[in-house]
Amino acid sequence: MKLGFLKACLVATTAVVSLSSMAYAQVTPRESYKPVTDEMLQNPPAEEWLMWRGNYANQGYSELETINKDNVAGLQLAWAWPMADVGIQETAPLVHDGIMFLQTNNSIVEALDAKTGDKIWEYRQALTELPASWSYQINQARRQKNSIALYDDKVILTTADAKIVVLNAKDGTVAWEKQVLDPQLGYSYTIGPVIADGKIISAISGCSIAGTAGGCYIMAHDVNTGDEVWRFNTIDDPKNPKQQESWGEVPPENRWGGTPWATGAYDPKTNTTFWGVGMPGPYAELIRGSGEGSVLYTNSTLAIDAGTGELKWYFQHLPRDNWDLDSPFERILVDQEIDGVMHSMVVSVPGKNGIAFGLDRDTGKYLWSKETVKQNVVTAIDEDGTVHINTDLISTAVGESHLVCTSVSGGKLWQAGAYSPKTATFFVPLTEACNTVAPTQTEFTAGNAVGAVKFGPRVLPEGITDAGLVQALSVSPTAGDSKWQARSRPSMTSSLLATAGGLVFGGDAGRYVKAWDQETGDVLWQQRLNAPIGGYPMTYEIDGEQYLVVPTGYSAAASTISSAFPEIPLPTGTGNSIFVFKLPAAAK
Amino acid sequence: MPMGYKRVASAAAMMLLLAGSANAAGFTAEQAAAGKIAYDGNCGRCHGMNLEGVEAPGLAGSDVMQNWDTAEGLYDFISVAMPPAAPGQLGEDTYINIVSYIMSFNGAQPGDKAMSADPTLLASISLPAETAAGAAAAAPPNVETDVTPNASNAVPQAFTYGKQLPGGTAPTAAATASKGVPQAYTFGKTLPSASSN
Repeated sequence: MKLGFLKACLVATTAVVSLSSMAYAQVTPRESYKPVTDEMLQNPPAEEWLMWRGNYANQGYSELETINKDNVAGLQLAWAWPMADVGIQETAPLVHDGIMFLQTNNSIVEALDAKTGDKIWEYRQALTELPASWSYQINQARRQKNSIALYDDKVILTTADAKIVVLNAKDGTVAWEKQVLDPQLGYSYTIGPVIADGKIISAISGCSIAGTAGGCYIMAHDVNTGDEVWRFNTIDDPKNPKQQESWGEVPPENRWGGTPWATGAYDPKTNTTFWGVGMPGPYAELIRGSGEGSVLYTNSTLAIDAGTGELKWYFQHLPRDNWDLDSPFERILVDQEIDGVMHSMVVSVPGKNGIAFGLDRDTGKYLWSKETVKQNVVTAIDEDGTVHINTDLISTAVGESHLVCTSVSGGKLWQAGAYSPKTATFFVPLTEACNTVAPTQTEFTAGNAVGAVKFGPRVLPEGITDAGLVQALSVSPTAGDSKWQARSRPSMTSSLLATAGGLVFGGDAGRYVKAWDQETGDVLWQQRLNAPIGGYPMTYEIDGEQYLVVPTGYSAAASTISSAFPEIPLPTGTGNSIFVFKLPAAAK
Repeated sequence: MPMGYKRVASAAAMMLLLAGSANAAGFTAEQAAAGKIAYDGNCGRCHGMNLEGVEAPGLAGSDVMQNWDTAEGLYDFISVAMPPAAPGQLGEDTYINIVSYIMSFNGAQPGDKAMSADPTLLASISLPAETAAGAAAAAPPNVETDVTPNASNAVPQAFTYGKQLPGGTAPTAAATASKGVPQAYTFGKTLPSASSN
């Protein structure tokens, strides 16, 4: 045991050998790290947070209720930690066996003692160097990175330069790594994987960068060997003639986009993984050359057999996108038993235009939809789920400009909603915004995007003065009805967390983290922090105490719409941090 | 690399395509110099002191200029939305100076006539045309100098690349005949123009 301890310390960092015995004491031996099993992933312990949204269903929900409506006002700071790097802050901390695994920009991972906030280890790497002129691609490394994954005694990291890196959870050393796709073409990971069916299932980003033409993939690799098991191309499916026809004359090598840039859900009962897909590139059909085609599978939900990679069904939420209104966001799996019948659904606000959808999980059949924020791109959705778009907003000439709601920054953006099975309510963070969109005719350059449009500044829709909205939707197999709306002047900048304590946590560009009552939308607690609230607030329990983690930092969701609330100045410092709260001893 | 990409050898073809619409200069050297000071103080932290981006989108390069299209496009955006910590609050002259500096950094040459916030004037200043020579000389978009590109690094282009689209500039023989860098499906096609509709 002692030998193992010393070995762990030496491996963790060579600097340790020159430090005092005090420094040794801060590095807790983790030889006893408890492996994460398939059973744990299928039924996560309430006191832990093992994956991106807490469970395979992507619900962002915790069964913990020590912190509840009655005592949340008494939350106090337990500890805080500055993140290891600057950049847009979208981190999703995980907790297992008393360790918090915190990934930050540039693919850095830190392990912290989840009770004390002491650092255990840190992993850094040299990312592939890119030419300075590849500014869009370089920026990818400073944004997103929603999650890492835990499996067995490993931490599984997908990197900004398109590698899978598998770390030993006890000390942060590299077990193995694999270069999945070529970063010189533009590929990069901006999201983490879901570990299911013995596979690392993830999706590549960078598919709107010129060099990636023709290929954007959801992929599965063997969790032990890294061998590729299957890949599914979201913009070129030779097995589906309808998919090919939907791009008109445009051959695969002139197609871009279709990036699935939010981690998929997984249903163990049917061994199916559910993914959302982003917009097509170039953004405008005039430049894209796809005519009136719906450009599948952009802006769709895909149900994929986790064993084989075969497509089971798809549903397109926004056909013929002309405005960069991605629909890749979190797909949430909801089961409701009504009168003895189990209803299995996919519930989501899939796209930037903020429209909520309910789909039958086994067939992809459309169940219902519900508008949230102001939008003008979808005019109607038929009972069979056919989505009609506003063709008046499609530019038929280069430079022809239209005011489009929502904006390229949402509406909905990467910040994930949360579903509470306890109240059958879906809580969604949203922004009210519009922008002008006008196609440009552009020669693409290496490392840069193929959007080819000119966007105007984000502005509030006419008659609306509050940029931020938390929408609570009562979910059933037949409808998603508005339960309450909580509006705020600044935009929403974090994902939401729902708990069995009857609370929803999240925060805004004005640096307030808040706890809303799930039933009423009343604010029961708020605390102003150092920077826009960001990332994915989560919760865990150690030694009977429930902890709430709130990430903060630089936020695109704040900076793109800050002109809507100029009286609340954003900080210029990035401030990337996590704040960890718990109840005082007397309040428990 | 699959066959069938539409390619051009370099940015030169596009530059030829765009040349001729230039409204000489569009800003003065004094505006660009004042713009550098304002940019460094308000913008450089996120967009990079060399406009290379990193924390926010880069502002250098031919594609950036083509997407903003005119000085009006860039001015209209930044004078409302930037910088995030003080959106729209720098004052008209400062935003004009910053536009001048961004153009200057991208290769545009100053002249005697000052830029103003007159929308007609701003709309007449073509960013791609004014910056073409400088951008091509400083950082040829498709010939990277920092790394040695391999064959697969040639840049794919849109299906419309080299095609006449409504509102688009007429394709030239150089653009349609060029090889090497894949372009949009519509590239070089004549597209309808908003101004001509």
